[in-house]
Amino acid sequence: MMKYFLLLIALICSSVNCLAEETQIALDHAPIQVNDIASIKRGAKFFATTCMACHTLIYMRYNSLAEEAGVTYDRMPINVKNWPLNVTPPDLSLEADVRGVDWIYTYLHSFYADPSRPTGVNNLLVPNTAMPGIVAALQGQQVFATDMRASRRYFGGHLQWYDELILQSQGALSPQQFDASMTDVVNFLYYSAEPYRAEQNRLGYWVIGFLLILWAMMYYLKKNYWKDIEK
Amino acid sequence: MHSTNKQGLFNWLAARFPVREFSERHLTGYYAPRNFNFWYYFGSFSLLVLVNQIVTGIWLAMEYTPTAESAFASVQHIMRDVHYGWLLRLMHTTGASAFFIVVYLHMYRALIYGSYRKPRELLWLIGMLIYITLLLEAFTGYVLPWGQMSYWGATVITSFASAIPYVGKYLVVWLRGDFTVSGVTLHRFFSLHVIAVPLVLCALVFLHLVALHYVGSNNPDGIEIKEHKNSSGHPIDGIPFHPYYTLKDLVGVMVFLIIFSLILFYTPKMGGLFLESENYLPVNALQTPEHIAPVWYMTPFYAILRAVPNKFLGLVAMAAAIALMFVLPWLDRSKVKSIRYKGVWSKAAIVLFIICFVGLGYLGIQPVSTLRSFMAQVFSIGYFLFYLTMPFYTRYEKTKPLPERLTK
Repeated sequence: MMKYFLLLIALICSSVNCLAEETQIALDHAPIQVNDIASIKRGAKFFATTCMACHTLIYMRYNSLAEEAGVTYDRMPINVKNWPLNVTPPDLSLEADVRGVDWIYTYLHSFYADPSRPTGVNNLLVPNTAMPGIVAALQGQQVFATDMRASRRYFGGHLQWYDELILQSQGALSPQQFDASMTDVVNFLYYSAEPYRAEQNRLGYWVIGFLLILWAMMYYLKKNYWKDIEK
Repeated sequence: MHSTNKQGLFNWLAARFPVREFSERHLTGYYAPRNFNFWYYFGSFSLLVLVNQIVTGIWLAMEYTPTAESAFASVQHIMRDVHYGWLLRLMHTTGASAFFIVVYLHMYRALIYGSYRKPRELLWLIGMLIYITLLLEAFTGYVLPWGQMSYWGATVITSFASAIPYVGKYLVVWLRGDFTVSGVTLHRFFSLHVIAVPLVLCALVFLHLVALHYVGSNNPDGIEIKEHKNSSGHPIDGIPFHPYYTLKDLVGVMVFLIIFSLILFYTPKMGGLFLESENYLPVNALQTPEHIAPVWYMTPFYAILRAVPNKFLGLVAMAAAIALMFVLPWLDRSKVKSIRYKGVWSKAAIVLFIICFVGLGYLGIQPVSTLRSFMAQVFSIGYFLFYLTMPFYTRYEKTKPLPERLTK
């Protein structure tokens, strides 16, 4: 019995893999401005109020963040043991390093209604994703446009999410507002992955500037010494 | 008063320690050919990167935890909580790749100018041992962040040992200290990475320098400057290493550090080549990544391994690919050392060899496909032919006449 069960799991896994190959879509471009602090803060607020219901952000000291906000630690998602579908929502501290910002931005845009799924939604980038339709309340209900997909695919190249999905009913946000909101949260995740990045880039100018001066000094010193060699 | 005090201290020291003799022997009195070109920077750069790795490594080890439970988190602790921890770690990760870049260019220099030829065979052999030790150091270090690629890379590479007949399966367990790669493996790799291998590395670098200063540096012309000496017994075409080459190398070091900083501060991942995105995921022993590849500096040999359909023979091919580099001094039968005076066959062979080596490196990073496997086989054959036919083309090709003295 166990053997058949394992075999079944293996089959499901392999079919999911096939599907992933089949429905792979092109990554959209996340229009983030890395120096836009206001955008990062808006993204943080969005993350804290929406994503943090399930996702942790352990390397951003999210527990102290939550304590400040008056949330008790024992009710944080990290303490939940039994998740629906047996999938623990991944920690997102390093998600931008693992997937890249364009991937996250595309993923958040590519949910569509799929009654065959227990969550009622599916995702173009991650077929059969366990994540429920959280963004639908904001983005609205998207549906799959089968006809476009068949004809466009024929000419090769990957399709964008918006080539395959149609917005059936708008949610709380207009498409522009939704894009802006997702840009903010992606920008925040980009920051969370490497919070030192701003300092890193700033220090780089000083180090390289210093090295250029040192290089000029060394260059003339060497030239002076080598005068008697290079006749 | 001040200067006499200083003089006094120096004399005190000189009476008890050969400071004067040392600097005379290795710096002011070490005569190097006056025509070193671009390719002669990479020896000093290697030494600089070695120091960088040791110094940043010491500080990283202060905050890193070598246990399966906390290794990954301790790296993030270094990156986020330790003051300038991100700088130390990125210096170390960028340094690791930089080490191989400069070492490969240093070896290429030896290859084109015949620096491995008599009397520098031993110098080349010690250098090769440094290279092997460096690969070991890089491999053990790559496991430490305990990300997905650390774990699965370690699994794949330690499993090579299992291809050895009879003892293989015991050997793998012995290497890992467990039946799979685990926290035990991590902890021992940490020990190897921070003490055992660096100790060997430093000893070998010391021997490399001793051997170099005994036989003297080769040069782009591949002729011996010691054959023409002036009345004071110094080579006419030689100049004291200090101040001439110390200053010249310092200029080079500045350029090197500027390029190093550009990578370090603005693109430390090098598009996934220096730091792979998969390694930002903590170890999951139940989920194999779709595509496992070693870091770029190991991929030429990995590609040779994969090019052979049989696992054991693949391992043999990989070992042979490295072993051939060791015997290089005895494969080259040319009358001249430098590529400048070798014939067209040698020149073509080196060009083809570089294409094969870089091609293998590229293919080793990519996932396997039918075409890529075929290309890897072609490049592997090219790689081996370069060495195996060397005794013939170097011996029978027409070489150019050597100059008496350095040309510039």
